[in-house]
Amino acid sequence: MRLEWKKASVGRRNFLRGATALGAASMLPMGWASRAMAQEDGVLRIRSYGDLSTMDPAHSVGVVDENIHASVYNKLIQYKPGTEWGWQMDAAAMIEQADATHINFALRDDIGFTNGHGAMTAEDVKFSFERIIADATESPNKPDMGPLSHVEVTGEREGTIVLNDPFAPLWTIALPYITGNIVSKAATEAAGGRIGTDPVAESGPYLRASWAAKEKTVLKRNPDWKGDAPVWDTIEILPIDDENTAEIAFDAGELDLTRVSLGSVERYRGGVPNGGALIENPSLYYVWLGMNLDHPKLQNIKLRQAIQHAIDVPSILQAAYFSAAAPSTGIIAPGLIGHRPSELVAPAADFAKAAELLAESGETNVSLTLDVLNKTEFTTTAQIIQATLAQIGITVEINLLESGAFWSSGENENLQLVLNRFSMAPDPSYATAWFTTEQAGIWNWERFRNEEFDMLHKAASAESDNAKRDEMYRRAQDLMEESGAYRFITHEATPVVHSSRVAPALRPDGLPLLRYFGKA
Amino acid sequence: MTDIIADTSKSRSELAIIIAGVARDPLGLIGLIIVGSIVFSAIFASWIVPYDPIAMNIPDRMQGPSGTHLLGTDQLGRDTFSRVIAGGQVALKVALPAIFGAMTIGLTLGMIAGYGPKWLDNFLMLLFDTIRSFPTVMFALAVVALVGTSLQTVVFVVMATSIPTYGRVARTQTLTLRNSEFILAERAMGASMARILGVHMLPNIIGVLAVLAAMDIPTVIALEAGLSFLGLGVKPPTPSWGVLLKDGYALIRQTPWLVVGGGLPIILATLGFTFLGEILRDVVDPKLRKNR
Amino acid sequence: MIQFAFKRFALAALILVVAVTVMFLMIRAVPGDPVSIMLGPRATPELKARLIAEMGLDQSLPKQLFIYFSGLLRGDLGVDVFSGRDVTTIVFEQLPHTLKLIFSAILWSALLGIGLGCYAAAHPNTWIDRAAAAISVSFIAAPAFVVALLSLLVFAVYLQWFPAIGVGEGFWDTAWHLVLPSLAIGLSWVGYIARLVRASMLEVLGENHIRTARAFGLSERRIVGIYALRIAILPVVTVIGVGMGFLLSSAVFTEIVFARPGLGKLVIDSITSRNYPIVMGAVLVSTALFVISTAVADLINAILDPRARSGT
Repeated sequence: MRLEWKKASVGRRNFLRGATALGAASMLPMGWASRAMAQEDGVLRIRSYGDLSTMDPAHSVGVVDENIHASVYNKLIQYKPGTEWGWQMDAAAMIEQADATHINFALRDDIGFTNGHGAMTAEDVKFSFERIIADATESPNKPDMGPLSHVEVTGEREGTIVLNDPFAPLWTIALPYITGNIVSKAATEAAGGRIGTDPVAESGPYLRASWAAKEKTVLKRNPDWKGDAPVWDTIEILPIDDENTAEIAFDAGELDLTRVSLGSVERYRGGVPNGGALIENPSLYYVWLGMNLDHPKLQNIKLRQAIQHAIDVPSILQAAYFSAAAPSTGIIAPGLIGHRPSELVAPAADFAKAAELLAESGETNVSLTLDVLNKTEFTTTAQIIQATLAQIGITVEINLLESGAFWSSGENENLQLVLNRFSMAPDPSYATAWFTTEQAGIWNWERFRNEEFDMLHKAASAESDNAKRDEMYRRAQDLMEESGAYRFITHEATPVVHSSRVAPALRPDGLPLLRYFGKA
Repeated sequence: MTDIIADTSKSRSELAIIIAGVARDPLGLIGLIIVGSIVFSAIFASWIVPYDPIAMNIPDRMQGPSGTHLLGTDQLGRDTFSRVIAGGQVALKVALPAIFGAMTIGLTLGMIAGYGPKWLDNFLMLLFDTIRSFPTVMFALAVVALVGTSLQTVVFVVMATSIPTYGRVARTQTLTLRNSEFILAERAMGASMARILGVHMLPNIIGVLAVLAAMDIPTVIALEAGLSFLGLGVKPPTPSWGVLLKDGYALIRQTPWLVVGGGLPIILATLGFTFLGEILRDVVDPKLRKNR
Repeated sequence: MIQFAFKRFALAALILVVAVTVMFLMIRAVPGDPVSIMLGPRATPELKARLIAEMGLDQSLPKQLFIYFSGLLRGDLGVDVFSGRDVTTIVFEQLPHTLKLIFSAILWSALLGIGLGCYAAAHPNTWIDRAAAAISVSFIAAPAFVVALLSLLVFAVYLQWFPAIGVGEGFWDTAWHLVLPSLAIGLSWVGYIARLVRASMLEVLGENHIRTARAFGLSERRIVGIYALRIAILPVVTVIGVGMGFLLSSAVFTEIVFARPGLGKLVIDSITSRNYPIVMGAVLVSTALFVISTAVADLINAILDPRARSGT
């Protein structure tokens, strides 16, 4: 049977009308129909870029877990919210460096664990720290504890941390970060030595009330907490990996705080929806272009230097980072020991110099591949690098990789150029650690091998004189740059927006310290 | 379904009749116009585009529409209109080879399944069902992770996931034709299998598949855009509608024009090919609608 | 009939086994190891080796496959070494979110599509019919992820009528959160179903027993709504069965755009992090969903139409 059904002259008009309506609506000005904050319910809603993976600090996979752990566990010392790196006492009533390898501490007497596991004792501290370094624990966070030997219990709530060697990062990473969380010995042992996705005993100002995978983690005030009462009754942490999605949710009033993309900074500078505010923090991340020193095509140092000089950092910052980030001088961000005031190769490209170097190198018809992660800021950066290198006659092919393939580039011997970004903890040793000879082919993708660098990395973390440390890390970065394998780009930035009802407490790099959050 | 039995000499004038038949229908005409202009702009893209679609001009980035830039510019100051036009070229570069490949392979396998021994039929059907049972995106992710992103990868993914559709239809048609009187007669006269399949069956099946292909193009274009949107598509700086959407989604509140520039062509192309396919199907054979 | 059912489900099981095997081999061939991706620079070579042994990745491929399938027979999908949780738990806590999305999309698109189709069939060749036709063809043309993006921007960002992210809690909140995502993936189905229903309805209305019913003076509404619809709706069942699989693919995009938890999101996350046990679990469940729904659709079809049993 033949149907006459599609012969409708209305079709075209209908379609056009529909299309116009869609087009017009997406062009409406921002905040045209801004909805009043729907959530006046005493619940703080925070976005996190990932989902909780464990409640065990020993197996914490980073800042996402730490956000939650820091609220439900206590440490001897915690990071201070504010714009300068520093720490304050938490579970410790007293803590002091007795000598280069001994740290004495005394615990407060009013901290107890939930589920009937009693007061926090020095035994719990000993257990928590020593299990991080015990082989049986298989903790990925073991390196953070550096040369920890053991903890001596000298009283019910007193003890001494004993190190094998002096270790400056103890105060900047080991104690106030992931590995510093104190868990209950009794509860953890009762659970068979490993904590899963449910806590076995908590002691912090908040308790983890519930967790729905990929949906949210809910923290509720701990009724037995004796310290300064936290301001918010309930905190919901929502895992949203995409910043743009998070911004949409924030603008719609569904989130109280989120990191935003650098591309949105300019817009939020002009006004944050629903009466909120923008805080622009620096960040510790470091972004750079690396060149694989083992690759046959990149053996010529003049060629590598030509590439260093031909990459125009200001254009990258303008187009990929929307002028919301500054050029970096190396891998150590401003505000940390070891930050270099300036780099050897200036951020702006010097095409004449680059062409000259290329000519000196004697290389012609250079064509290289550039591996990047498939995120907009990296693909944009890669395209600028491609365009600028083309100006001195170097052809670049961009390889777009999804995160799985990208993060195993260490094993990729055919890697040529790679655009990379590492995260960072607030101690310079954390940055240099990945560029040692030992790491070549693991996380040192440039396969940069330099004995002096290795020596500096080792010596600097045992050095307690900050001025000397500073000098050592600066020299280490000079060595990296002189190898011609690195073109440092930026440390990015951490712009954060928050709603009008919250007074955020952030680390200097913009990461939230939830237990200190207030109401506006 | 005996009325698709064909004389095997479809002439050029018959093609003209089909086109005329399509154009007589208002929807078909719209479809023809849209598809025609997409194909035209893709072929003559390098003459149409006002700017080099990959040439950057960072000081002029993220502009709104103006006399100089019809649809504004993106984060690298590239002209969005030029990228939309060039993106059409990419869409067709993916869709045409992928569909042609899927159709050829699907046709071959489908005819083998329909005409060959039962065990081979069972095997091929199992193969088709297996491919179909993977969610496309999952398959695409695995392939991309395996061989990296490129235009060829996208073509391969799209082709591999479309083969079963063509294969199944070709098989059904073959089975139907196999027992039709004229094939039985040919066989009785001792025609070889190659002759039966190639000369008698192929022309009958190919018409059906061609219609299916026309209707499949929008799916393929949307799939390419979807993969590029997930960062699994073409390599930068190649402009594709999906890349425009991906960049545009990240910049939506700075400049909505990238999403408009990437989204509208997809919807337009989809509408155009769908209208065309629908009407084409009616013109070629109204009964076919039930085979999908 | 029972024999057909048996054969159909045996085929379904076979497809599942082949699909899982293929995915297993494919994902193993892909570069990248889960430990480096998950732990980043914190993954030391020793730790990597230990976790890889724990995941059984150091065994030969056939052996890994054997271990996987023998676990499967016991209903054991393995353990995620990073969280120490059962993969079964991980997959099945995400599944309901996706099922809700798919079923709500099918429900509203089927209701609207059937209504539209019936109405058009009851008023053939009037302007209502034509409008419905144009709308349905245009709807078919709507790619899910473009609709998802545009509807997110218009209704959640600019108009703020609907929530932009998440799945909500409790019945009404959940339904509220489902509106835009299910709109995105259901839209093209309205068109499909309307066309299908209209075509088969017109065919049915022309058949003898309906003419008889008319002759008995039953009202047109009753005829269309009760007698004819019961038969005309059959093709829709098949289409929905097959459609389930395609909806799963559209669900992936929708879950990403609307930041919803679900199977699609789980698959993307686990493939990009090379978390093999979760990838396998998620692939298994989603292929099973597809295979079962097509098998059920085939069965229903076979019950209703004996000709379909011959296997074409």
